[in-house]
Amino acid sequence: MPTLDLINLRKQFGSVTNPVVAVNDLNINVADGEFLCILGPSGCGKSTALRMVAGFEEPSGGDVQIDQQSIVNMPPNKRPTAMVFQKYTLWPHMKVYDNIAFGLKLRHLPKNQIDQEVQASLELVGLGKYGDRYPAQLSGGEQQRVAIARALVLKPKILLLDEPFSNLDALLRVRLREELRQIQRNLKITAVFVTHDQEEALSLADRIAVMSKGELQQLDKPATIYARPKTLFVADFIGAMNMLDGEVSGGVVKVGNQRLPAPAECVAAPAKIAIRPEDVTVTQTGEGAWHGRITQVSDLGHYRKVFVQSPDLGMLKLYLPKSVEVNDGEMITFKPTRFLIFQGPLPPFEVKL
Amino acid sequence: MATRSRYLNTLFAGYALIAPPLIILVLLIFYPAGQAIVRTVMTDQEVGITAGLTLDRYFNFFADPIARSNLWFTIWVTVVTTALLFLVCFPLSLYLRFSNSRIAGIVQVLALFPLFVPGVILAFALIRYLGPRGTVDTFLRIVFNYTGFVTPYLKPSGIIFALVWDHIPFTVLVLTAGLRQVEDSVIEAARDVGASGLRVFFQIVLPLIQRPLLIVFCLNMIGIFGSFTIPYLLGPAAPQMMGVYMQQTFTDYLDRSGAETQAVLSFLICSVIGALYVRTVTRRRGERA
Repeated sequence: MPTLDLINLRKQFGSVTNPVVAVNDLNINVADGEFLCILGPSGCGKSTALRMVAGFEEPSGGDVQIDQQSIVNMPPNKRPTAMVFQKYTLWPHMKVYDNIAFGLKLRHLPKNQIDQEVQASLELVGLGKYGDRYPAQLSGGEQQRVAIARALVLKPKILLLDEPFSNLDALLRVRLREELRQIQRNLKITAVFVTHDQEEALSLADRIAVMSKGELQQLDKPATIYARPKTLFVADFIGAMNMLDGEVSGGVVKVGNQRLPAPAECVAAPAKIAIRPEDVTVTQTGEGAWHGRITQVSDLGHYRKVFVQSPDLGMLKLYLPKSVEVNDGEMITFKPTRFLIFQGPLPPFEVKL
Repeated sequence: MATRSRYLNTLFAGYALIAPPLIILVLLIFYPAGQAIVRTVMTDQEVGITAGLTLDRYFNFFADPIARSNLWFTIWVTVVTTALLFLVCFPLSLYLRFSNSRIAGIVQVLALFPLFVPGVILAFALIRYLGPRGTVDTFLRIVFNYTGFVTPYLKPSGIIFALVWDHIPFTVLVLTAGLRQVEDSVIEAARDVGASGLRVFFQIVLPLIQRPLLIVFCLNMIGIFGSFTIPYLLGPAAPQMMGVYMQQTFTDYLDRSGAETQAVLSFLICSVIGALYVRTVTRRRGERA
């Protein structure tokens, strides 16, 4: 069954004297039928990594294996992968049918089999009657659906998607995302999806590989990535986070004028304290309560986003349930219920109160 | 009322802008051209006889073996030169489009250089370089003691050589611009589904640059067919290209109506290619976004 392994994969651009490392020592394994998202800001090397799997970039080092077989020496047209590109992806001089049939014709399949498979793949993406149209007669979303059909019709071992929905408007993006997830589940195809949109990654992926500056930061399930980010970068990049400067000494971490418990394993040194906006609870004034003035309240449907100006901690962002009454300009007291302590490059300590 | 007068003002401003070139075009080009065309199909006006319609001048042209051979020669030079241009410029343009190396910049400058050389200077430079006792001849004599160099000067090959050189920049410019319209991802998508390099070229790239290809084909054909300076300075005494032939008929033989007939014939041939060009530029607007 198809698995994909990136082993110490490396890509370096530029001259020998002034190299630019785009992908550094990347190790990712994708299990059979898994949907893996590579997530990171633009320029983090995620697309380069994907293009090395597809064969459009030659690795400077390391290996790419499908089913334990190295494919780095294969040209892109011989690899058992199929890719969906970000844009300008259909051939404008061919009708939708011919776009999808192109790869099948190259494989010299009989005409009636090509007809059947093209039609089946068009139905799969909900465009059964669109075979006769030219790409320019389709909307952006329809074009990307055809691109997905074109990739799937070849029954690739690995489906690669390079930010396929980033040129579409928000609503359509969400809809296509859900359709893609459904198709992938039904076909049980192994897929690698590159995106800079964390919401997209969190909602699509079985596992997410977060990359920054060419390096893998964390490879985990979406829930784990969100709840227990391994690095400061992931903590900051995924979801909203309050990042505070602290100082650990003797089982406590000092944040502003507040003291929070710290595990015994923490070394006495400066630390970063990361608190999710939802990991706070509104309390009465008293021992260990934080306070500040509410500067902005936004009603976001089932919860409220509240900005609080704290005298010693600066601006904090809190997500509060609707049951809590808050108003602009009021004072508020609250307590963190859960936070992470980052010290150097080590994985953080999680503290629950 | 206000919107109506504003509408009229805009309309008037629009016509005012296009009026000067339109008037010049009509008075100095369309009118005399129309007159010339009409004159070639009318009998000479004499005292007491009204002019009538006749195709005699064209029959005379095709009855004259020199005129016929000049016309065929012009068509032959045009076709051969256009074919050679594609042979030279296509690889060059593909290289310029797909290469990222620094050499590509130098190649581009070299390819565009003839754009800045007037035809007459190019012709004389080639005479000095490839002519009898020119640079190449002298070099071969001195270095290799080789005396068999055959100069293309005053031969059809001289015209073709110079015309190819002269038309390279335009051809390369249009072809590379056309090739740049073909996105990398369009090519990569074809590679991805299994197409080899050759197949990508013939089934993806060529169809997508059909329009620039036809444009460069038509404009080159028309330009070469009507060329004068290069065939005049580098070509043989016979056969001659139509431009040279017309000039000679007009100034040396003082045969105005003969020259006009040749001109109208040349114009008709070029307008066939021109029609193809217009069709290429205007058609299929709706098909592609």
